[in-house]
Amino acid sequence: MSSKKVISLVLIVMLMGMLALTGCSGNKGEAPNADTAVGEVKVGVLLPLSGPVAPIGVTSQRGYELAVEEINAAGGIKALGGAKIKLITADSRGDAKIGMSEAERLIQSDKVTVMTGAYQSAVTYPSTQVAEKYKIPYIVPSAVKDEITQRGFKYTFRTCPPMGWYTKAQVDFAVEMGKKTGKPAKRVALVYENTDWGQSAATAWKVDVPKAGMEIVLDAPYPATSSDLTPVILKIKQANPDFILFTSYTSDAILLTNGIAQMKINSYGMAGGGGGHADPEYMKNTGKNSEYHYDLCEWSTDVGKPGVKETNDKFKAKYGVDMNGESANCYASMYVLADALERAGANDPEKIREALSKTNLSTTNAMIMPNTSVQFDETGQNINASLIMIQVRDGQRVTVWPESAKNPDFEAVWPVPKFEDRK
Amino acid sequence: MGTMTEATINGLFMGSLYGLIAVGLSLVFGVMKVVNFAHGSLLTICMYAVYYLVMKANWNSYLTPILVVPLLFIFGYVVQSKIINPVLKREFELGGGHAVILLTVGMMLVMENLCLLFFGAYYKVAQVPISSLTLNIGNIVISVPRMIAGIVSVILIFLLYAFLNKTDMGKAIRATGQDREAVRLMGINDFKIYNISFGICFIMLTLAAALMIPMYYVHPSAGKIFELRSFVIVVLGGLGSLNGAFLGGIIIGLIESVTAQFLSATTAEFLIFLVFILVLLLKPNGLLGKK
Repeated sequence: MSSKKVISLVLIVMLMGMLALTGCSGNKGEAPNADTAVGEVKVGVLLPLSGPVAPIGVTSQRGYELAVEEINAAGGIKALGGAKIKLITADSRGDAKIGMSEAERLIQSDKVTVMTGAYQSAVTYPSTQVAEKYKIPYIVPSAVKDEITQRGFKYTFRTCPPMGWYTKAQVDFAVEMGKKTGKPAKRVALVYENTDWGQSAATAWKVDVPKAGMEIVLDAPYPATSSDLTPVILKIKQANPDFILFTSYTSDAILLTNGIAQMKINSYGMAGGGGGHADPEYMKNTGKNSEYHYDLCEWSTDVGKPGVKETNDKFKAKYGVDMNGESANCYASMYVLADALERAGANDPEKIREALSKTNLSTTNAMIMPNTSVQFDETGQNINASLIMIQVRDGQRVTVWPESAKNPDFEAVWPVPKFEDRK
Repeated sequence: MGTMTEATINGLFMGSLYGLIAVGLSLVFGVMKVVNFAHGSLLTICMYAVYYLVMKANWNSYLTPILVVPLLFIFGYVVQSKIINPVLKREFELGGGHAVILLTVGMMLVMENLCLLFFGAYYKVAQVPISSLTLNIGNIVISVPRMIAGIVSVILIFLLYAFLNKTDMGKAIRATGQDREAVRLMGINDFKIYNISFGICFIMLTLAAALMIPMYYVHPSAGKIFELRSFVIVVLGGLGSLNGAFLGGIIIGLIESVTAQFLSATTAEFLIFLVFILVLLLKPNGLLGKK
């Protein structure tokens, strides 16, 4: 008897929950959180602040905090009578379901007029859907999943480049270097670990590389846990490429880099795409062998743009660590929001959305990112978002590309010196 | 053509190194009938020992066995007598059971986590002058540390073979593997033989570690990759057979290196296990295993 009671109780609760949900969706059509005469603009921040990704959540939060502090100290949003931006943070715990309910809570009970987050694509993807339902603008500063801006949403705005642009940026870089130096790369080798990550990069390369007029001379997937990567290195040698593209984890990146240097396989350049190549352990364990290696990433503290050094110094003084890609992304996104608020002239989600969609920003500290301006297309993607290429020089990662963001003290070396000619 | 030769040479060198790592596993199984799942983490410990001697005391990697071999032989001897033997004894008395296998799994977990605790999850590479040395013959490039590893491995496997066949101690070890009860009746302390066998397993792993450090990274799970190879090699060559372990090592090394040139490294990995399954189906005792 009692177990039946429990089951019926559960059923009742579930039914009530469903009713509540349908009740919610009945709300759409209005903009319940609109408020024009305000002293503050509430921004809902959704981040993974506990669980395995918590460190990145914290670092992202610091980026938001620093920007908001600066904006408020400089007089807030002038068009709103000096209204201050107020961050209301919610912990997604890195879980899509919790992310959705927290987004719901931020909008329903905290009455935020704009949202941002959520670092992970897996959380951003469903939580932007919640914001879309309630017609609350959602700024995505660091989630890269392509599909986030491919659902015809009107309230989602992404400031960072989507995944699909990474491989293209690597190819664009090689083409530009070729034009600049008169030594164009013609033969490209693709070397990648054979799981999901490497294979999706390879699929994209196989479109981008031929499109740029280069030939793929080697397609070499390998298991990242190989005990011996010499067979792969020998294949690279045999293929004799001008440009080598990698997608590797740390241990395989170390073995490949050291092996290539030992075999003295010369090319115009070798480029990784984050992962193992961006791991400090990689540089420590390859030493001189990783000199002149390229690596594509989102941001670096030496990006040669006004405000970068000052902002990083401020960040470091406040939190004791350098900014990284995530914190810089989040930091810059708050300046994009501030600009939109000034133009919206009201703390109203609909007007903010309108203003965001018309963004054409090329000033303020939003420009610490490598792009020279922010403009959203009809899908909400920042069409000017850009990545940077770093090169290892004297054991340091320095930004050498694109021209607009490069470290003024360094020029990209292309083709890289032959191994025989290095000291 | 040059690349093919290079791939073959590399396969032979790596193969004999795999063989050297696998003989310890084969020996322990042959003598004690224990499948040692801790083999990979034992190798990791040997690698850390060699690594720190090379980096902190500036020893030449190839000289480290002088100090590390006796130390780790004693370590292996003690581990066997204090940890494995009591469990084995109980198993012999009660009959059946797989407690020893579970014990080795437990040891593997303990050692891996101890490495994580003490050495951290970092990759450590000993960049020594010989690491980047190569031998150029025509257009063929041979890595010197690999060549040394390959040649020395063959010699070491041969020496172990000679030891087991020519010396009294070796004969006692082999006899223990064949019939523990009979050996007891002949006045040989079988558990002492176990201790020595486990110690020898450690010696082979230490020597392998000394050969690997100039060309490979150390990491708490570095040995694991070789352990998986070792299991395939030992089963392929025949459980308990040293020649089999050597032959298996060479076959795996060649498949890995040469087929990767025609196909991809991923396919090579798949082929290794395909060959493994075929051998198990067609020749269940391995290539050189006894019935």
